[in-house]
Amino acid sequence: MISLKINGQPRDVDTSPDTPLLWALRDLLGLTGTKFGCGIAQCGACTVHVDGEAVRSCQLPIGSVGERAITTIEGIGATDAGAKVQKAWLDLEVIQCGYCQSGQIMSAAALLAHTSNPSDDDIDAAMAGNICRCGTYVRIRAAIKKAAAA
Amino acid sequence: MKQSYWLALLAVVVIIAAVWIIYVPGPLAFAKGGSVALSDYKDGDPTGVPAKLSKDDLVSRGKYLTRAADCEACHTAKGGEPYAGGLAFNLPFGTLYSPNITPDKETGIGNWTDADFLKAVHKGIAPDGSRLYPAFPYTSYTLLTDDDVLAIKAYLFSLAPVRREAPPNTLAFPFNQRWGMVFWSLLYNSDERFRPDPKQSAEWNRGAYLAEALGHCGECHTPRNLMQALNNRKKFAGAVTAGWKAYNITQDKETGIGSWDADTTARFLAHGHVEGFGTASGPMGEAIDMSLMHLEPEDIKALVTYLKTIPPISDPELPVPKTTLASAFPKAHEISENERGAMIFAGACAACHGWSGESPVRSYANFVGGRAINDPSARNVAQAVIWGVTRHSPDGEVTMPAFGKAYSPEEIAAVVNYVTARFGAAKSNITAQDVVKIGQQASQ
Repeated sequence: MISLKINGQPRDVDTSPDTPLLWALRDLLGLTGTKFGCGIAQCGACTVHVDGEAVRSCQLPIGSVGERAITTIEGIGATDAGAKVQKAWLDLEVIQCGYCQSGQIMSAAALLAHTSNPSDDDIDAAMAGNICRCGTYVRIRAAIKKAAAA
Repeated sequence: MKQSYWLALLAVVVIIAAVWIIYVPGPLAFAKGGSVALSDYKDGDPTGVPAKLSKDDLVSRGKYLTRAADCEACHTAKGGEPYAGGLAFNLPFGTLYSPNITPDKETGIGNWTDADFLKAVHKGIAPDGSRLYPAFPYTSYTLLTDDDVLAIKAYLFSLAPVRREAPPNTLAFPFNQRWGMVFWSLLYNSDERFRPDPKQSAEWNRGAYLAEALGHCGECHTPRNLMQALNNRKKFAGAVTAGWKAYNITQDKETGIGSWDADTTARFLAHGHVEGFGTASGPMGEAIDMSLMHLEPEDIKALVTYLKTIPPISDPELPVPKTTLASAFPKAHEISENERGAMIFAGACAACHGWSGESPVRSYANFVGGRAINDPSARNVAQAVIWGVTRHSPDGEVTMPAFGKAYSPEEIAAVVNYVTARFGAAKSNITAQDVVKIGQQASQ
């Protein structure tokens, strides 16, 4: 049994320590807001926060999380940066098909929590690993700036 | 009279130079302790399996020794059945394929007698009398005792036979003439079993047997002379083998492993990764996962004891590894210097390796302190990017995707140069042509 802290709640999962966090979140805990994309940390759809850092949960072995706090898309609205990002996303209607967007929002919220007024280079560095097949990148950048100004 | 005097002197100089070039010292010559026959060494038996396995049956002992000799790494094609051969060695003069050593009677070694197997492993001669190429490290394996070789045979013969014919070699003339190895073997195969050094401890001699006879470390880590024999004057000083740099593992403090303490060295051998000392990938990653991680702790300890005595030799091409993290986010000028590399790093690499070089997901993906990232030839970084990394490590599966088909050689050169500049002590400047060339040298 492995104990985790997810969105402020203690959760126990019965699985081996090399299970990727994404599998535990989706298949064992029913938190399906975090998406499976590529499985090799190349697309960003599975992004969650571990102690506030954006991390690809498909590559993170659950045994290495330890005491660190996990935040998923289900819990991000409770944070200051997360709430601002979600509002900006709705205001600018960023989302098209939506599959990548939980990951996009998680990366954007982590960026804003670190860097309250990010430059274009900061946005590129933080968001380049989150890919969007619909090509919503222009609206994502605009929404991050809107959230930063909010 | 005077003229003939000079001619004679010249002849002597030429002969001395030729002998100096052709002659190489033996693998244990550096210890200067002399040697005795195994039966005359009274401090213990450095050969065979560790004491606690000595009561095991022949096949189990053979399995341990087969792993210690790392037969599987070369005798298995990528994605193929273990020991069924077919791995392609891409040499400058053609391609060589490893043979099937499962007990299949037609395509493997199922018909080999004990004498056949001993002759191949000790002398590099196949049962039909043809000569084997020294890609098969028989000049190292010749040190193995008959008992150990036959235990390895017993293990191989306990495996299920796999029917798989290796593709024919494509070596160019004169390298396709196997009989040429007769002369090479005369010069470079001692055809002599391991002789312990009586001045050294039993642990040191066990380490020497593991490193020289079984593990054949020098086959990759020791530079070769003009005749492609291991030049033990530069023992373990680092060399390029199968397209990857096998780094300096002498006790040189700056460019070897002289600054690693015994515990770090032991942990690196058993895991292929130590926090702050990088991660083994490529052929060394295979050597860890298929061989070294299966050794008993006392054998790892013996290897460390032995490695600690290797004379330091400096590699002038390597800087001291940088041990500090990069900044949390890239500075604007770094991006403008190599915009393409920065863009690829942001999209494909940063999620796992982190912008600082400290991975948010796996410590195996940390850059800091690693040798490859601090090597301005960037050879191993390029190989990792092109072919990816697959480790079946004692800490679980570790995978880096292969980007060789996803990005162009220009893009790979850009991201490799970006990575060494951002995280290493000396930045690389490789070109797209280098990337193509380096990638083709890897065994496949």
